[in-house]
Amino acid sequence: MKSLAVITFIGFSCILWINIPFPFLIPKGFPSPVYRFQNNPRTKEGFELGRKLFYDGLLSRDGNFPCSSCHQQFAAFATYEHRLSHGFNDQFSFRNAPGLFNLAWKKDLNWDGGVNHIEVQPLAPLMDPHEMAEDLNHVISKMKKDKTYPALFNRVFGSPGINSQRILKALAQFTASLVSADSRYDQMKRGETHFNQYEQKGYEIFQQKCSRCHQEPLFTDFSYRNTGLSVDSTLKDFGRMRITGREQDSIKFQVPSLRNVFLTFPYGHDGRFVTISEVLEHYNSGIIQSQTLDSGLRKGISISSDDRFYLIYFLETLTDSIFIRNPLYADPNLGVRTKAPVHLH
Amino acid sequence: MPYHMLRRIKGFSYSLFLLVVLGSFQKKEMDSTLTIQFRAYVHGVPLELNRKYQNPFGETFEITRFRFYAGKLAPVYTDANFKSKIPSRYHLIDFSDSATTRIELPVTAGIIYNGIQFQMGIDSADQNRGAQSGALDPAKGMFWTWSSGYINFKIEGSSPLSTQPAHIFEYHIGGYRDNYNTVWQIKLYSTNDQTFLISKEKKIMIEIGMDLDYLFDGPTPIHIGEVPSCMKPGELARKISENFIGTFTGLTISPNP
Repeated sequence: MKSLAVITFIGFSCILWINIPFPFLIPKGFPSPVYRFQNNPRTKEGFELGRKLFYDGLLSRDGNFPCSSCHQQFAAFATYEHRLSHGFNDQFSFRNAPGLFNLAWKKDLNWDGGVNHIEVQPLAPLMDPHEMAEDLNHVISKMKKDKTYPALFNRVFGSPGINSQRILKALAQFTASLVSADSRYDQMKRGETHFNQYEQKGYEIFQQKCSRCHQEPLFTDFSYRNTGLSVDSTLKDFGRMRITGREQDSIKFQVPSLRNVFLTFPYGHDGRFVTISEVLEHYNSGIIQSQTLDSGLRKGISISSDDRFYLIYFLETLTDSIFIRNPLYADPNLGVRTKAPVHLH
Repeated sequence: MPYHMLRRIKGFSYSLFLLVVLGSFQKKEMDSTLTIQFRAYVHGVPLELNRKYQNPFGETFEITRFRFYAGKLAPVYTDANFKSKIPSRYHLIDFSDSATTRIELPVTAGIIYNGIQFQMGIDSADQNRGAQSGALDPAKGMFWTWSSGYINFKIEGSSPLSTQPAHIFEYHIGGYRDNYNTVWQIKLYSTNDQTFLISKEKKIMIEIGMDLDYLFDGPTPIHIGEVPSCMKPGELARKISENFIGTFTGLTISPNP
């Protein structure tokens, strides 16, 4: 009788053997996220599978372009030091690769907001002939033949099978988990540290001149704005208008977060500004007038050289060195790399 | 047996009982099936892929691929008080795979109906659900990656009049935002106001005829020579979608062999 009970208990434990829940913690002061892992409960195993996929070249046509080739942890998951990223067959990407962090708070993704859900985001680079240049069905067939993936998918989703939905949900477990909320700014906000007088002065100038669009605590209001940039004659990128087809959206791009801004250079949708000083000078003196120019930028933003000095001190406090060194987000095979190791592409 | 276990068993029986009761209700609601068969015609001739046809403007063309989404299919009941339960499912009708052109729809027996309703395309609520499976799996090739959204219908082919490379023509029609919505609710009634009773024994097949002539010769005339392609949401896509829904010309109801 006793042994029967033990067997039953073991049997039940096997049935109830579930993945380890992995609660998503919302940083203090952050609003409620858009993506709350609804229909995709976050588990340690799911996150780890997503992380493996993110770093796996198998998702690209020639094996050389995993997600991580353009989204490098040491650059807050932007492409370090590249105007445009490099993809399949020596081609350039259409736009500057944005840093990947706090994506769970984004309703629409990409510079033009063309992607409407974090789970379907990876399809864009994966199928773009200039980037990973792959085919979804081909990726699935490669994974089915792989030694490790079938078992991993079975474990995460509770039944055998690899399909696009599972791949995308696993990837979202990883990408939506990339939270950057541990910069000096955050520590100051939590009362763990104090700004020095330069940083404090810069913060005040920031609040006065920049925070209309780069709203705290995410440092963006997620709106689309024309910031007075010229249209490059080869890229012919009209931003949001490409998605909505409306003239009033011409040359509008989503306001990027300023978190980790020191790591995500070059700046702008096409990476035309190499340094933060250049960006600040653009707002000071380089605004190009047009129909759709943001109403607050008609006269530019007057930023003196003193302002610039202090602003740069403040913007440096937005670098999250804990985030870029977090082993949880690193390549599972290589661990954390703190700076650009080799010029890969 | 300890008391708490007894209580648990009791609770379990209650839930089982409830499930059975609810299940029987459910069963009563959908106790028969209705077969729906989509058939496409060009100039009155059943469509065959890779075969030459002429459109109403005399343009020679052939179709190599033809797919569209039909969702939320349900019978329309003659008694307006009886609202049918609209299933949320989508079907990808692909004319290169005849099995997909036939749908077995669960329905309630014993009620008189006189039409069918469905939605052509994926509505905005279902466009924003993230990674999906089945008919909505992005691997089906009906999903735009750079501007998230499903292609509601896709017609590809060639015509000597097309100015595109290799004389191909392609209409990838989608878009659900604002003025460029290409999703339509369609209600079709039998040609001679026929009404039919669905019963458990006597199965019925409804054929939905599509006359592709109207794709070209619709509210907005589309000449392949002038409009060989449309691949993004916008005014043109909306107009072509308006032509497309005109191709659903009617119902033929017959006993299911």
